[in-house]
Amino acid sequence: MEPSPAWSSPAAHLGVRSVLAVGALAVVGLWWLDTSAGSVVGLGATVTSVGRVAGLVGAYLVLVQILLMTRLPWFERAVGLSRLAAWHRGLGTSVVSLLVAHVLLIIEGYALTEHHASLAEGWTILTTFPDMLKAAAGLGLFLLVAATSGPRLRARLSYEGWYWLHVSAYLAVAMTFFHQISTGADFVGSDLRHRATRLLWTAIYLSVAAAVLWWRVARPVRGWLYHRLVVEAVVPEADSVVSVHLKGRNTNALGRAGQFLSVRFLTPGHFGTAHPYSLSAPPTGSRLRLTVKAAGDHTQALAWLHPGVPVLADGPFGRFTVREATQPGIVLIAGGSGIAPIRALAEDFSRAQAHGYRRRGHEIVVLYRASRREDLALASELDQLHRSQRVVVRYLVGRRAELGYDPLAADSLHRLVPDITGRDIFTCGPPGMVNAVEESLARLGVPRRQHHIEEFDL
Amino acid sequence: MKSISTDRQRLRTRRRQLGFAGLLVGCIALVEVKAATAPATHRITLGPSTTTATAPVQRTATAPSTSVGGGARPASRASVARSATGRPIDIGYGIVQVRIVLQGTRITDVVPLQLPSGGRSGSIASYAVPQLRSEVLAAQSPNIDTVSGASYTSEGYARSLQSALDAARS
Repeated sequence: MEPSPAWSSPAAHLGVRSVLAVGALAVVGLWWLDTSAGSVVGLGATVTSVGRVAGLVGAYLVLVQILLMTRLPWFERAVGLSRLAAWHRGLGTSVVSLLVAHVLLIIEGYALTEHHASLAEGWTILTTFPDMLKAAAGLGLFLLVAATSGPRLRARLSYEGWYWLHVSAYLAVAMTFFHQISTGADFVGSDLRHRATRLLWTAIYLSVAAAVLWWRVARPVRGWLYHRLVVEAVVPEADSVVSVHLKGRNTNALGRAGQFLSVRFLTPGHFGTAHPYSLSAPPTGSRLRLTVKAAGDHTQALAWLHPGVPVLADGPFGRFTVREATQPGIVLIAGGSGIAPIRALAEDFSRAQAHGYRRRGHEIVVLYRASRREDLALASELDQLHRSQRVVVRYLVGRRAELGYDPLAADSLHRLVPDITGRDIFTCGPPGMVNAVEESLARLGVPRRQHHIEEFDL
Repeated sequence: MKSISTDRQRLRTRRRQLGFAGLLVGCIALVEVKAATAPATHRITLGPSTTTATAPVQRTATAPSTSVGGGARPASRASVARSATGRPIDIGYGIVQVRIVLQGTRITDVVPLQLPSGGRSGSIASYAVPQLRSEVLAAQSPNIDTVSGASYTSEGYARSLQSALDAARS
């Protein structure tokens, strides 16, 4: 399980997007070739046809949504989990809306052709067409998943509740599949062409299912059989911050400093969910450390983990690593849980310099932002790195109201690091802090490719 | 999962709305382009067509092909598209009537003009018709298998189709 190499390119993003777009064109092409011009003429027929296209494209996009989160190695290398998750979130509402439009348009189209009332037609379709009840239930599940992923409703659910509801989307996909091949105009019929498209469509669904089973189930299990990760100790670091020490075999292959793993503890109370946790130190051959800020019910329960608990870890994810640096000078900015990858990166950069992989003479600057002194975690380790003169650490403590200014504002950053425009800046922390830093750097004229972000918002 | 600034949230919502709108507009445009490729001679018949007064012929969505200016009669070549309308067939709880589009001697399309409406028969018909159409296009004859659960509709469809073929050949 090699740490993913860092490819940093908008070209790779474009490559992935193009492949997905080609898929959409293929689906649309299927409809185009199968539909005669005469059959879409007339208001009822037009409305029905738009509904059919919407259904085909919607079904395709649902599969895309699944593939974005399946952790395919190629997607991970080209785009990275954090950005893929952002694409997945962005696409979600459009897909579900398109599916709803599909239902409404088909009902209305049939109603117009049959000269029926829309509601009566809808009821007829629901109760007499094959596999429609399953499809309706599946759509209902999709709506529920979409609704609970919005910011307002999601906050009301526990992480576990939201997670398992989201997983039910797989069930919804299976339920809506059947009506596609049993009533879809492009799939029904005993002629050769339609039999072939039915076969192809079924094969596509089965392939996606196989990909999910392989990369999301089989691979982590295989990883555990190879690395045999178990909990060694749980150490409190600061106010509501704990470090979980893991031990196993060949753990240095599990990731490099700055990356994160999707971690599932195999013990009652933790079986149900996997969380993304960052490495807070470069891994050794047999030891691995994660540092987590208790933010919800699950992370708080980490303090009660006992040694010997087996750990299922998937990854590594993220390209927030030493390899991304383009300049000799480095600035690392941390806030909240962000200290974990930042502290790991500080050591990794420092080591790279010491071993001659990076040019010496440019110090590594760490800026650690916190509201109170008690919130600072891993400070002793940062101080140790500072003392060995390889790393310069500045603690920016205090609320903006108390300080009277924002330590992460453009002028303040410039004062702290005068040559900041010529350095690579790695920022990790809560979204508000990351936004503030982004704005400041934009104002200072730091090129975008020199700013690397890891946002904790999965 | 703290909420970020409302400006960013608003931008995100706006982008998503645009995304959905774009997808929907794309679907509509696709269908309209497909409709526009309907042969311009769609409503011009070269053979005697038995259009009855009760046939509610649907207006085409694209103006050029059906306006009065569509009177430019193409030369009578064998490859020109022509259409013929079949007789309305009463199948007991509704009327089935189809129109065929021929290219030379090849059936290129079958369009339903009248179908049984009302409750179950209407829904059976709208479900069976796409299947019947694809079978006719594949078989190039009205001798097709009945769609299970829609035997009356299938029969009426085939008979109306046969009468359309007769009209086209005469």
